[in-house]
Amino acid sequence: MKPFSFLTALAIASSLVSTAAADTLKINGSTTVNLVVAEAAEILRAENKLDIQVDTQGGSAGGISMLGDGLVQLGMISKHVNEDDKAKYPKVNFVENTIGVDSVAIIVSKDVWDNGVKALSKQQLKDIYEGKVTNWNQVGGTKSQRIAFFNKEPGRGTWEVFVHWVYGGPKLAPQVSFPEVGGNEETRNKVAGTRGAISQLSASWADGKKVFALAMVLEDGKTVDSSNAHIANKTYPLSRPLTVLSNGPATGSAKVMLDFLLSDRGQALLPKHGYMSLKDVGGQKY
Amino acid sequence: MTKTLSWLFSLLAVATMGLLLGIFIWQSVPVWKHEGWSYLWEKKWYFRQHEFGVMSMVYGTLIVSIIALVLAVPVGWGAAVFTSEYLPRRVRMAVKILIELLAGVPGVIYGLLGILLLRDWVYDTFEAFEPLSGDTLLTAGILLAVMILPTVVTLSDDALRAIPSAQRLAARGLGLTRAETIFSVIIPQAARGLGASVLLALGRAMGETTAVFLVVGRQDNNLPDSWFSLRAWLDSGQTITSKLVSSETNIAYGDSIHWGAMVGLGLILLVMTGAATLVGTFFTRKPHA
Amino acid sequence: MRKFLDAVTALIAFACALLALALLGGLVYVIVQKGGPAISWGFFTEQIRLVGAAGGIFWNLIGTLILLLTAFLASAPIAIALALMERVWLKSETSRSILRTGLYAINGVPSIVFGIFGFIVLVQWCGWGKSWLAGGLILAMVILPTVTVALMERLKAIPAKYVEAAAGLGLSRSQIIWAVLLRQSWGGLITGSLLGLARAAGEVAPIMFTATIFAGAAMPHAIKESPVLSLPYHIFILAQDSFDPGVGSKLWGSALVLLGLVFSLSLAALPTRLRIHEEAHHG
Repeated sequence: MKPFSFLTALAIASSLVSTAAADTLKINGSTTVNLVVAEAAEILRAENKLDIQVDTQGGSAGGISMLGDGLVQLGMISKHVNEDDKAKYPKVNFVENTIGVDSVAIIVSKDVWDNGVKALSKQQLKDIYEGKVTNWNQVGGTKSQRIAFFNKEPGRGTWEVFVHWVYGGPKLAPQVSFPEVGGNEETRNKVAGTRGAISQLSASWADGKKVFALAMVLEDGKTVDSSNAHIANKTYPLSRPLTVLSNGPATGSAKVMLDFLLSDRGQALLPKHGYMSLKDVGGQKY
Repeated sequence: MTKTLSWLFSLLAVATMGLLLGIFIWQSVPVWKHEGWSYLWEKKWYFRQHEFGVMSMVYGTLIVSIIALVLAVPVGWGAAVFTSEYLPRRVRMAVKILIELLAGVPGVIYGLLGILLLRDWVYDTFEAFEPLSGDTLLTAGILLAVMILPTVVTLSDDALRAIPSAQRLAARGLGLTRAETIFSVIIPQAARGLGASVLLALGRAMGETTAVFLVVGRQDNNLPDSWFSLRAWLDSGQTITSKLVSSETNIAYGDSIHWGAMVGLGLILLVMTGAATLVGTFFTRKPHA
Repeated sequence: MRKFLDAVTALIAFACALLALALLGGLVYVIVQKGGPAISWGFFTEQIRLVGAAGGIFWNLIGTLILLLTAFLASAPIAIALALMERVWLKSETSRSILRTGLYAINGVPSIVFGIFGFIVLVQWCGWGKSWLAGGLILAMVILPTVTVALMERLKAIPAKYVEAAAGLGLSRSQIIWAVLLRQSWGGLITGSLLGLARAAGEVAPIMFTATIFAGAAMPHAIKESPVLSLPYHIFILAQDSFDPGVGSKLWGSALVLLGLVFSLSLAALPTRLRIHEEAHHG
């Protein structure tokens, strides 16, 4: 009996292929943007009875590639679409719908903070990234302490924002091999639990208890932290847009999602998760 | 009809496995063309520069598996000797069932425990050797040791029990103690089976993915100066499997060389685990069975 | 001296076995202690809210069950066919032995390799996108050797006199297979499937690229682009990306539920296995 029932099942199954779910809104991408979008999706699912699937595979790069391949209608990204992305998908018209602003913090573990390291310059970060500086006492620490760098894995928006600022783009960054971290909590957890640790992390996750956000020493010698005021007046250099990407202008349920995210209720979700709403930054471009 | 269906479904299974092997060979062709044999020997993996050498990942996979075997095999053999030689049959079954439950614990749960407990334990315990963090090859190896322990115990226990009881009785009748019986009569005869348990456990260790991913540190290109350096076990590393579930798999698809390099890793893993499994299976076969 | 060595050997062997059992005990203790507080009725009946910080794991559990059921249904006919091949149709011992070796080889294939195979063939070439069926079929490949070998062993244990009696009644070979062999051995199919599924239930690698997403999937209506949620992937993601401290207890709660599911499947296979074991010793 079993083989027959299996064949029957297979026949039924293949007839289902033709009626693939078409009205489902699919979204994939950055874990940073996900916090806001996933909560918006919960609201729209309940109130508008929309069918919305959200996933975070591959971070921002996953958002771009799945949108490029037509697997999702919206990609979540925490960086800008760069020339390489566009070159890879020449037929896709990437439209960046910015919904908020975040910054990338350079975070350190408590012992580094207590060792007196509170700020770094771009050159110092470069030296650390290239392995020329391996001890915190070379960059302002009072005690000798080894530097343990955790690098955000390839494809993460956070990493791209970082190397864009330091080197001008992912391709211009030197090839280095550090232990890699993926998700935001993984990053925070590992930095918090490791002596001498440093990594890049969405500023909203730097809680000042387990991990500490360093200020940046600018080229004119001024020191700025990643406070909202410094993001709004653009003096903190590592700010970035939180963006929902569409292929051409969003339509249908993708537009409903986008409109919701830009509405007052949607914008209120950004500060809730530690980001800045568009109003907070006075509608500036990032 | 029954015969036809049997053939049909069996051929489907064979064809699928053939397709699997074929795809892994075919899809990795671009990287072989791009890198040649240096794909295997080259130490550097920088995907943005299209430099693909798998050596550091093969090293990582071998080291975590060796650590796992070094820890799990003695304990596993000891436990198997206890269950097979000292326990009455019913108790033995109960103990085996419990140990097999351990085998069913999902890798992701081991990984979670690794993050919570093992990582800090390794970091603190080996502080004298100054590990940079708690994510080390050793951490992954210890976690894997727990994961493959049930495999070693079950297979070794089977091998020991396969020796007829008459031999035990005869040896005891000659005045040998229980320990002497075990060492001079039972273990020599079960040697093949015990060896097989090591190889099959090795196959499992090399292929384990999720738990390793969460604690190994995922650091590319971290080859030590000496292959036999023990200090290097306290460094972060990358295994073939941790690479294959990383974000690079998403990035690579669409770039035929990069994708070829990822699929090529899968092919190498398939060869490594396949060799361990097949040789192990060959070992289990009794000479006249 | 000999007595002493004898005692030392016994002691060491005992310590090894105790260590193995202590690991199991410790593991279960930690998971229950950390995950226990999250368990409530609502945890099973509600869906995820606030990116895992609130609500329950209803659709994750359902998704995992869908994957397991699919894997069972897809692997059963293949396993039956392969087992009949080995026991009935193949005549030469060489070809039987090749078949068995092949099964062991499949058993040794790492699950991530199956996952990438499924991603290439089902997700990309067939254009299914992430789909419950892709995940189910890939998991079927993962469990196939376990199911088949269990069934073979059961078939082997059927006394020859049953077959002879059936042949004496004039039944054809097909009839003997259905009326005697498969009827007597379905327990092996179930046992093997339960053991296989116990392993498959916790796998992340085969389904993360083929079948499962983090949030928003419910009951699939189709095959294409119809992912499910799942327990192991949920744990895998939350372990790397939980923002809220509230996620912590939900995370361990999910781990506890997954562990419970896996243990239940293993233990459900137990009665049949014990019976086979008893028969092997007394029969």
